[in-house]
Amino acid sequence: MRSLVASSLLSLFLVACGSSIPPPSDKLASAEAAARSARELGAEKEPKAALHLRLASEQIDQAKKLMTDGDNKRADMVLQRASADAELSVMLAKEAAARAEADRAQEKVKNVKAGR
Amino acid sequence: MKKSTLSALALSFVIGCGSTLPPKELVDARAAYQSAAKGPAAQQSPGELHVAKQALDGAEREFNDNGDTPQAKDLAYIAIRKSQLAEASARAAIAQKDKEAAEREAGSLTDEALRRARGELASTKGNLEKTQDQLEREKAARIEAEKKAAQAMADLQKIAAVKQESRGMVITLSGSVLFASNESTLLPAAIIKLNEVADALIKGNPDSNITVEGHTDSQGQRAYNMDLGQKRAQAVRDQLVSRGVAQDRIKAVGIGPDRPVADNKTAEGRANNRRVEIIVEPTKPH
Repeated sequence: MRSLVASSLLSLFLVACGSSIPPPSDKLASAEAAARSARELGAEKEPKAALHLRLASEQIDQAKKLMTDGDNKRADMVLQRASADAELSVMLAKEAAARAEADRAQEKVKNVKAGR
Repeated sequence: MKKSTLSALALSFVIGCGSTLPPKELVDARAAYQSAAKGPAAQQSPGELHVAKQALDGAEREFNDNGDTPQAKDLAYIAIRKSQLAEASARAAIAQKDKEAAEREAGSLTDEALRRARGELASTKGNLEKTQDQLEREKAARIEAEKKAAQAMADLQKIAAVKQESRGMVITLSGSVLFASNESTLLPAAIIKLNEVADALIKGNPDSNITVEGHTDSQGQRAYNMDLGQKRAQAVRDQLVSRGVAQDRIKAVGIGPDRPVADNKTAEGRANNRRVEIIVEPTKPH
């Protein structure tokens, strides 16, 4: 009984320190993938998308540093924030592209109408 | 027991106090979700909106369970992004629909233009065919007219001498066929013959001007012969008009002995000189 309490106390201590949490490599990979997608979709040319891409990149860098320092727990959360920003950047880039295409199509209709 | 209840009350009081002051991030996350839920995301991107709700619920849970922790702020931050993503996704879906609608409209406009162009082509073609048809009809009418004229000419040649001269077609009728000697009244046989001539003229040359010339030989007084020529020409003209030749296109002229075609010294020559000529002028081209 005593040993059980002791071990659970120990594990609590370990969790608190974060040293028992493995490095969040999967979360890092997915955040980086999302940022790459955003870049490929032209997020850097779209102000709102570029802002969130920059936030994602900064947080990815921050998480990498935390991982080097051994604070995997904090790195995990920062990477979740980075992913949220990167995914938002992707969607904003997609939105801008869709809007541009819609504007082009509507312009074409206007021209066809004007042309008759 | 009493002591533990008290401490529990005290603890809940502390937590209760803490829960009244959510971090700014959570307040923003609630507002962001409310804004997304009220907007087009509810219709256009319900999946993303649901993810945003779950993220917000997670942040609320963390705040309720543990108060204003860094974790609660992080989860709220993520919830804000998820709500923003749901809104962006909705706007993208609307843009996509706008684009599809515009493309459909452009397509239908193009189809319409195509249909119109086809219609114009068909009507042009129709007009061409009509013109072609008209040309064919005109050609047929011309052939028919030429045939009639040729037929009329052939008819005339059976009853009179017909020559083409520069002044037109000249139909020469012998005076002895038309009139008794020194008379200007048509013989019955002459009337039949002139009617045939009139028919041929009406059929073959309906538009030509016609001159009837009365010619005599040179025997006797010139004035008498001039008068006789005039009267005979007039008699022929009147007969042609009575048969249907339009009177405004036919005139009678007395030439008398002035334009003999043969020698007046012989009986045969004189007989040839006594004649009526019907000159059909060439039709002026319209």
